[in-house]
Amino acid sequence: MTDPRRTSFLKRVRSALGNPLRDESAISAAFADPRPAATAALAKRMRERPPEERAALLVRLSEAAEPLNIQLVQVPDETAAVEAIARIVANSLPEWGGEKRAAAWDHPLISALNLQDALADLGVPVFVTRPAPDVDRGRVRRAVADAFVGVTSAEWCVAATATLAARNPPGAPRSVSLVPSIHVAVIRAEQVVADFQELYALLNAEMDEEGRGLTDAMTFITGPSKTADIEATLVHGAHGPRELHLIVIHG
Amino acid sequence: MAEIACERYKDMAATGIADPVLQRALINLQHRFGRGTAEAYRNLPEGPELRFQAKAIRQHAIDHLDLLLERLADKIEARGGHVFFAEDAEAAVTYCQKVADRRGVKRIVKGKSMVTEEIGLNPALMADGIEVTETDLGEYIVQLAGDHPSHIIAPAIHKTRKEIGRLFADKLGIPYTEDPPTLTRAARKALREKFMAADMGITGCNLACAQTGHITTLSNEGNIRMAATLPKTHIAVMGMERVAARLSDHAILFRLLAMGAAAQQMAGYVSYIGGPAGPDSLDGPEEFHLVILDNGRSRILADPEFREMLQCIRCAACLNVCPVYGEIGGHAYGYPYSGPVGAVVTPLLVGVNRAKDLCQGETLCGACRDACPVAIDIPRMLLALRAKLAVGDDRWNVAPAGPAERAVYRIWSRLIGNRRAYDLCLRAAGAGGRLLAGKDGMLGRLPGPLSGWTRSRNLPSPAAKSFMQRWKEMEGEGGSNHD
Ligand code: SF4
Repeated sequence: MTDPRRTSFLKRVRSALGNPLRDESAISAAFADPRPAATAALAKRMRERPPEERAALLVRLSEAAEPLNIQLVQVPDETAAVEAIARIVANSLPEWGGEKRAAAWDHPLISALNLQDALADLGVPVFVTRPAPDVDRGRVRRAVADAFVGVTSAEWCVAATATLAARNPPGAPRSVSLVPSIHVAVIRAEQVVADFQELYALLNAEMDEEGRGLTDAMTFITGPSKTADIEATLVHGAHGPRELHLIVIHG
Repeated sequence: MAEIACERYKDMAATGIADPVLQRALINLQHRFGRGTAEAYRNLPEGPELRFQAKAIRQHAIDHLDLLLERLADKIEARGGHVFFAEDAEAAVTYCQKVADRRGVKRIVKGKSMVTEEIGLNPALMADGIEVTETDLGEYIVQLAGDHPSHIIAPAIHKTRKEIGRLFADKLGIPYTEDPPTLTRAARKALREKFMAADMGITGCNLACAQTGHITTLSNEGNIRMAATLPKTHIAVMGMERVAARLSDHAILFRLLAMGAAAQQMAGYVSYIGGPAGPDSLDGPEEFHLVILDNGRSRILADPEFREMLQCIRCAACLNVCPVYGEIGGHAYGYPYSGPVGAVVTPLLVGVNRAKDLCQGETLCGACRDACPVAIDIPRMLLALRAKLAVGDDRWNVAPAGPAERAVYRIWSRLIGNRRAYDLCLRAAGAGGRLLAGKDGMLGRLPGPLSGWTRSRNLPSPAAKSFMQRWKEMEGEGGSNHD
């Protein structure tokens, strides 16, 4: 399957570069880690991080979260996390009117919270996304669009910038963190990494060790949706969620 | 192709300077973002040298561009995505039209993308009877007003809240307000309906990753995520240089991009997209297309003098510090790329002679180079373009300056090489200047062919005595004690 357009396009690029040698070693050099030693040191540091350093990361996270208007809640356990979510649901109104509904990822950490029961007391139905090849995507879409709160987890959280990062796991649609007016993300304290260098080192390590590449989509989220397009005035809730609540479970 | 209005640079610049609303907006913009970016660099834990590391990463990518694009395309195709290599704007536009036609597309939502402005995609799709809605708030305002973006990141910077209030009252039928949160909410509501109804999303690509085979989109509003998630078909258009070799390269580049673009530590949303939704994904597009565009870029790549320009990640930091952009605004540049980046890229893309005023209008002060997250030496390239305009250049089909202008510069260069002749002329100019100068000692209007110099500025009259003369006299007085 050779696409003649692609061939002539790449030929033009190569000739613009002065037709450099393109043998195996040139190809692997193009993609090689420029600083393998630094990457290895980083991975070691992360794996051996002592508890006091972990605690310091949480302080750093809360310092980064504040100016971004992220509502950071630190809780001791799952029960407290559920209470925190129930409070958020009880205290806010659906932006576009109608009934209060929520949507949540099918994800080990979120399923353990049993939100369907917890929010039933408030009369708020929770749509839980389910992975299945035969799932009705139209239904998922409508349910997510009808929800005013979307509950997700993330794989990592970068302390330096308060960024949530997640490769899309199966059954966890990206729209749950995007379309509802309020996004609630629940993570465990161990998922917090120091900075972007660490995050990318982890991603790389997993790609190498597990032979697992990135999936079709990966998303980083730093704060609620915002814009400054009218006279450079900051406004939250341009298109995505107006509020972002980050719940960190210790222990 | 986008409309090219570079020939009107001088007129448009004069219009911009005379517009008090624009002037206030530009001061505000540069004050906030220009300074914020500089401070963000100063506070980098790795030190400001990180910019040079970023530059090396970009250069590495450019030097291996053929390999990177090949890997990127292979990976995306392996996930069921389509990759189209477009030699020029026309090929890219036609491809998008065909996909839209085959998919029976009626409504398109777009994420802000300068490259789609460059190829003139919107008018072509609209001519096919498709509704195309820009969804970045600034871009939406500009589209509703039938206007053009005037800044790469903040397209509606030239509009006041009052103008936007009137525009929304008129077009969206809401009661007049000039409250930014209320206006934003009105747009949020209107665009939410568009997102839900759209059958195609079109976005750009900030910086693809060849190693893993993903494009990335960055935004603060979330509109690009919507456009890439909700409609059944997603087309991403990228300039061929917008790719990094390795995933870890993004760690540095995205932070610097956010600092350059908006003095942020990180953009609100970063999305990696590597193809259509997988079999067990519950949302995302059924079809994914990536259009990789050359449109004159390989010519830039082939010239070692300008290759550095392909490192650009279109963050607009250079606009936010440029004293020329800060006076004339973005519309004067007559093409989607404005400011210092536009002053180099536009002549290279549309023709150096045609866009000559752009590179001659900049001041060479170097502020752009210091603000650039990848430390691109824009002043060097502005000078290189000017040299081509002076003596002509075959590779870029540049016609040299007219014989009269060249004669003037030849005489000038002889003159400044000859001390005695130069002194003589200075003295003559000093005498002539005193005759012509106004009360304030400034020359408001020079005669004849020199009048161009004074059309838009006053010139101080040459001093009666040259510096060298005064220096000699002071030495003669027996001391180097200056007063
Ligand atoms: S030249 Fe540098 S500062 Fe200007 S847009 Fe490009 S990357 Fe940003």
